[in-house]
Amino acid sequence: MEVQFAKIEGKSGPFYLATGLLAGLGLAGVYATYLMHEHGIYLSGMTNRVPWGLQIAMAIFYIGLSAGSLVVSGLYGIFGKAEYKPFARIAAYLAMLFLIAGLLSILTDQGRIDRVFVEPFTHFNASSMFSINPSLYSGHIMICVIYLWALFKEKGKLTKIASLTVCLWAIGTHTGTGAIFAFVPRELYSSPLLPPSFVAAALSSGAALMILVIVTLFRATRRKIDDDLIIWMGRRLLAVFLLCALYVMLIENVHRVYLMASREAGLFFLFGGFHSVLFWGGLIFFGSIVPALLLFIKRTGTSIPWIVFASGLVVFGVLCERFLIVVPGLIHPPDLFPGMEITRSVIEEGIVQYSISFLELLQALGVFGIIGFAFLVGLRVFPLAPKEARAEL
Amino acid sequence: MNRRKFLKKGGMVLSGTVCADGLLLLTSCNPSETTKENRLSRHKWGMVIDLNKCKPECTACMEACRQENNVAFHGDKRWDIHWIRKVGIQERHSENAGEKMIPMLCNHCENPPCAQVCPVQATYKRDDGIVIVDHHRCIGCRYCMIACPYNARFFNYKDDPDWPNKSYPKRSHGVAESCHFCAHLLDQGKRPACVDTCEKIGVKAIYFGDLKDPNSEVSQLIADTPLKRIRADLGTEPKVYYKGL
Amino acid sequence: MKVSRTMNSNTKRIVVTVAVVMILLPLGYSLVSGAFLGTSDSSQPFLERPDPKYQKCVRNTEYMRFHHMDLLKQIREEFVRHGNRDETGFDSCRGCHTSRERFCNQCHNSVSLNLDCFGCHYYPEPTFETANLRKRGSR
Repeated sequence: MEVQFAKIEGKSGPFYLATGLLAGLGLAGVYATYLMHEHGIYLSGMTNRVPWGLQIAMAIFYIGLSAGSLVVSGLYGIFGKAEYKPFARIAAYLAMLFLIAGLLSILTDQGRIDRVFVEPFTHFNASSMFSINPSLYSGHIMICVIYLWALFKEKGKLTKIASLTVCLWAIGTHTGTGAIFAFVPRELYSSPLLPPSFVAAALSSGAALMILVIVTLFRATRRKIDDDLIIWMGRRLLAVFLLCALYVMLIENVHRVYLMASREAGLFFLFGGFHSVLFWGGLIFFGSIVPALLLFIKRTGTSIPWIVFASGLVVFGVLCERFLIVVPGLIHPPDLFPGMEITRSVIEEGIVQYSISFLELLQALGVFGIIGFAFLVGLRVFPLAPKEARAEL
Repeated sequence: MNRRKFLKKGGMVLSGTVCADGLLLLTSCNPSETTKENRLSRHKWGMVIDLNKCKPECTACMEACRQENNVAFHGDKRWDIHWIRKVGIQERHSENAGEKMIPMLCNHCENPPCAQVCPVQATYKRDDGIVIVDHHRCIGCRYCMIACPYNARFFNYKDDPDWPNKSYPKRSHGVAESCHFCAHLLDQGKRPACVDTCEKIGVKAIYFGDLKDPNSEVSQLIADTPLKRIRADLGTEPKVYYKGL
Repeated sequence: MKVSRTMNSNTKRIVVTVAVVMILLPLGYSLVSGAFLGTSDSSQPFLERPDPKYQKCVRNTEYMRFHHMDLLKQIREEFVRHGNRDETGFDSCRGCHTSRERFCNQCHNSVSLNLDCFGCHYYPEPTFETANLRKRGSR
């Protein structure tokens, strides 16, 4: 039976409430960005020792989410699994929106937003990952648009080619995003395992978010979906990605702690501050172990509410992980004088603190608001959502 | 015209405009080249700091730098900028070891990671070896601060109303900066403010000169005395040498 | 109970008209104020004459009117990135055009083009003495 797509009704109270709230958040975020641009970024929690904070963490979080969405879309596009065709359009649209969210997060973080639209293009620096990546993201968005168009027009061959291209390009994008941090001489940043770890976490968070979005969408619009599809996505797709991500993270941390040169930094990362709570509690326990158990144990792994819960935990865990990529490496000082201790200085030379300011949080919520608004409005304006999703066609 | 056609046409117009703009931007791309004789490449500036002469509690170089270059100061360690600073270090596993105060500044590396990662080439290495920021181009992404392994780069998080040296511009908030060996003074044939002041107060712990000139003070010091650089193992090839580290 | 939320064509016409009027209002106002409310002075910005001590500018008026920003950018690129200072930037402009308010801001304010330069570059207003000296033509 042909899969049929339709726009959602989009006229209910909750829908208007949700879009209104998201639009309001978006405007608040724009205002917060304006304030920072006008008065200086000191209004955020960032300092000379911690120049990157919440905004960059959210940027890489969004970029990561786009990968998983595309993989779900690729299930139909590349592997031809026809039972996943219903989700292909939403996945491609979401991926595009997440990339835009990532770019927006980076944009609002710049010191001179008025220059960002000209300078990076006229004076491109091929050796800088911050130059290469926006090109990768923009190209990625364009390919997503072509892919969406191919899906709408039901062009079978173009869909296959576009899907393959976008998935390969996504690997490039995520490797590049990991490289922003990996290709820099900081103890907790420069690790060749960071790009693969980034890709793995991106896949798991994206797949988890797709499960959340699909189940929410289908329940909210009272569409029929076969549980088997979600169960497969959870137990086979998400669980595998989760284990891969755990594996790479394990190797990275064991390596850091094993070698004497990086042991102090590695131990600081694992046990040295509040971020360690985020690591063990947020990422490892609640973000990886509990969801993995929930998915593998047959009783919970075949129940939709439990899968949704596990997916939510995975998304939360990866959000913690993105924060852990950015901030601990900056809180921990570079080892300027090996074997010596720094007694005093006019700047903060040792381990520093980083706390998020209210305006910074508002900026991050603003980006979320804009993207959420675009997603809901897109659902209403374009026929993205399938009428129903069945396991056997 | 129904909504679908409108959206389609609108989308085409938008993408056409974006492409046209993009084309305009890309064709205005001009590589930063000059046809004039490159007087800068005749020199390669380097610095030697003699820690045996440097007085521990003296901060003359820091103050001179701030006055000369309009470096921002807010009285808050989070955002204060110090192009040159003194860092106290002590041997970790020794009971009797005393504290040594080390003046630290941008090392003007031969392989600067900051210039490698600047997305707009605002931070670049000039032909005379000085790593300098073009504040007209900097977009304030702070990637150079992430890449610098020496904590030597700063960002203008806030505007500082003070303007001690009106003959030299100051930076408004939103751009990154670091020491540039007082390039504006070098262009006039003078020496960096820290070097001048240290000599003026009679200490003369900072030597500055042309590494390409074998007869300059710094070249001779590098050739004759055992000098160290901070974290030379990183491969950045700093051009600030320390005697007595 | 579902209530029809679609607007009828009359309401649509009113909404569109109001939107178009609101968008065109600022444009219309500036056109109108230029034609009727302005005197000859406000129709064109009045640029203060430069110091009579100097004979001519680094370029002619026509070039400067359209390309002064290109010239400044060229000087800046040459000096900042290559260290070549054949022509000076604001320093030499300031020698003749002593008042930012009565020179630069005249055109820039009237076309609402924000100047980014003076947050960093020093361009003081002339003092009482220098202003009076120039008026008496003693320079």
